[in-house]
Amino acid sequence: MEAVKRALNRISVEQIKLELLGNAYNSSSTFLGRLDPRTLLVWYIFFAIVPWFVYNRTVLLGMFAIMVVTTILSRVSPYILFILCLGLISQVGWLFLLSLFFGGGIESLLPMLTLTLKLSVISLASITVFSSLDPERLSDGLSSLGVPDVFAFSLSYGYRILPTLLEEFHQILLSFRLRGQRPLRHGLIYWRTATYYLRIIVLVFYPLMLNTAKRSRTTIEALETRGFTYGLNNPKVKKLKLAYLKMKISDWCFLSGSTVYIALLFWFGNQYPNLLY
Amino acid sequence: MRKTVLELNGVTFTYPGAEQPVLRDVSLQLKQGDFTAVIGSNGSGKSTLCKCFNGLIPHYYTGDFSGEVIVSGQSAEGRTVAELSRTMGYVYQDFENQLVRPTVIDDVSFTPLNYGFADYKERGERALELTGLSEVRDEFVWQLSGGQKHLLALAGSLAMDPEVLVIDEPVAQLDPQHAREIYEILRRLNVEHGKTIVVIEHHAEFIADYCQNVILMDNGSIRWQKPVREALSSVSELLELGIYPPDVTRAAWMLNPNPLSVQEQYPMNPEEGRSYFISQHRAVEDNNCSMFKDKLCLVEESAEQKKEAVVQMEGVGLSYRTIHRTLHPVLKDVQLELKRGESIALIGNNGAGKSSLMKLIAGIAKPSGGTVHVKGTLINGLPAERLSGIASYVFQNPEEMFIEDCVRKEIAYYLKARKVPDMDERVENMLQSFRLGELAERDARLLSGGQQRRVSLAIGAAVRPAVMLLDEPTANLDISTKQELVKVLETLRSHVETVVIATHDMQLVAEWASRIIVMHQGQIIADGSKEDIFADEQLLRRAGLAQTQLMELSRVLGLPRICCTLEDFIVSAELQKEEVTHHGSC
Repeated sequence: MEAVKRALNRISVEQIKLELLGNAYNSSSTFLGRLDPRTLLVWYIFFAIVPWFVYNRTVLLGMFAIMVVTTILSRVSPYILFILCLGLISQVGWLFLLSLFFGGGIESLLPMLTLTLKLSVISLASITVFSSLDPERLSDGLSSLGVPDVFAFSLSYGYRILPTLLEEFHQILLSFRLRGQRPLRHGLIYWRTATYYLRIIVLVFYPLMLNTAKRSRTTIEALETRGFTYGLNNPKVKKLKLAYLKMKISDWCFLSGSTVYIALLFWFGNQYPNLLY
Repeated sequence: MRKTVLELNGVTFTYPGAEQPVLRDVSLQLKQGDFTAVIGSNGSGKSTLCKCFNGLIPHYYTGDFSGEVIVSGQSAEGRTVAELSRTMGYVYQDFENQLVRPTVIDDVSFTPLNYGFADYKERGERALELTGLSEVRDEFVWQLSGGQKHLLALAGSLAMDPEVLVIDEPVAQLDPQHAREIYEILRRLNVEHGKTIVVIEHHAEFIADYCQNVILMDNGSIRWQKPVREALSSVSELLELGIYPPDVTRAAWMLNPNPLSVQEQYPMNPEEGRSYFISQHRAVEDNNCSMFKDKLCLVEESAEQKKEAVVQMEGVGLSYRTIHRTLHPVLKDVQLELKRGESIALIGNNGAGKSSLMKLIAGIAKPSGGTVHVKGTLINGLPAERLSGIASYVFQNPEEMFIEDCVRKEIAYYLKARKVPDMDERVENMLQSFRLGELAERDARLLSGGQQRRVSLAIGAAVRPAVMLLDEPTANLDISTKQELVKVLETLRSHVETVVIATHDMQLVAEWASRIIVMHQGQIIADGSKEDIFADEQLLRRAGLAQTQLMELSRVLGLPRICCTLEDFIVSAELQKEEVTHHGSC
């Protein structure tokens, strides 16, 4: 119990904010972070879709291996990996319990492993790409691949406003706490305290939304006075904005390297489809 | 003849759904190179007027609009906001919501980029240079201080090299020295770069020092547009509308309220005040009053020592973690004792650690070293819920305290959570004390700035805490609302043992505080009575503060002591006058 308490103590809104922002914006230092956003997006599209249609476990395992490598290369925050593992384990555990309930046994674990492998490949690909792309480059990448500019802008704005929102969330949460009353007894396995906190966390969102709605009026006006709509209808502006995007040699190497690896993997997988189990 | 950059002819505007027009038959002209202040009480239509300049009205707010706006010689009719904004920069009062990009350089070049200028980066860099932000060019916007954000919003408009700059309340949240810096920048833009500048401003000292013209708005129409000296000399007219001319001007008016001839006008700053008052009362001599005052202070102090300590801080330090995973110290080894019944003002420049110190007392932040006791309870690391009866913290932004849907429920929230038996009575009492009776059923978010502030104070006071901590309670309030707040603070005294206010507002400090604590770079550099602190000019400058006009005036006039309030000054001045005539008669 003490250990849980200590761990919980470490999780504060401030901490989450730093972790999130650090993860989002501190990415240009890695190899993947220096690649062109379009390269990463194209690469991601492949690994987000293809695994769903692959049932060859050797191929999946090979994909998993390359994902592990890219994840390490992109220096993902341990927090995020922790959350991913938690998700995967609980997913499998839950399904396994369910299968036991319906008369399954240990052997039902194997097919689930295939699903887990797919999910891991896709999740790791997402983590790799999104922690290597800061929101700005992601938005520019999407915009150059033809996604509507308003969407691309709102993505980058969403991140810009995130710290402000978190800050305000924190303040409102404090208001609730400073004026509220925590249950006097913790209850069995802290259920009273836990319910209390979960409840106010949900309640915080209402004032937060109202305040944000009020504030966004200025933002929208300001966008107008800062020529945003003018720029939207002007293709020259888009060109100017994206002029910095360039496919470099490293981009081509990365893409061709991945292609060769995947091609070899499929060939190898066809030869030995049951390498693992 | 200077070019007319902006002209309004008979503009009348009604917001959709409103019965009364917010602007009635407004006509005005701005010439190139003007530096104009728009003044008027809350709700007189100042912001609405400025929103006509760049077409936000009538294009963005589609209400009933009649009249004509002419920008640079062309009618604004049929031109879009974006088009008009090319030559007109607008900095909002809530400027933070105007910054839409993550980094400083991105934000500043956002506007020129949208207009398709190939040299948008260079334009951004130039604007950063003009506002002195070049050093933070690669920082993220949320890492900037309030003052820097304001400068960034200004830079964002400057990047377009506009002819006209409209700034809504340029200095509302800044300490006096930073406020002056902003105005110095505006002056440079005005004088060296020939920009036309329009500010909406409540602080008459700044108008006196920097502006050339004043537009007075009253109930949606322009009452007059006058040169600054003439404008500020209309003291009685301004006071009627709840606008306070500079203290020096008011002092001169109080001593000589007869209407003046056109040549002879009231002084606007301490320098002018000196020659004015000296010529009025001839030479003023020093006298021996100060010795008498020293004795008085001693008596007070010995009485003070007997009082019970409410807050005790020993060797307290606090550090924050930054995004780069380094520790940033904000408080270093703070020793402090606050006693019962004190009215404490916590002053110092932006980022000196005032808010952090208060958060430690309120138990919101946990010290990284040392101990904090409030009423004998050690509060390091106690959950916030356990503390609130001891200390209550009123946020700088009242909106962050609003968690219910009407004022009554806001005040009752704490009492209800604790099932206080006489809850209804206490809530009613609070509503009465803070004059919120009529607003009790309204949503606090929709009230005016001054009303919101009162609600936030009532929320804090309902807790009946031993210490009440207020963070910048007068920020963004116009002067008459502020005067009202000072009265509300008096109300607080009867509900709370000790009140601590962190503020930049020297006038508030002068009128209200009994003890002043000066902070600088995370440490307490001075702690004493008003007289001690305000007399030490060097100390104030070091802490990023400035003397109020009255203090400066009493210094340059050589009055026996530094006067803090206008009444104080008048009494001293009258005394001096009598003495002079007395001397004369002997």
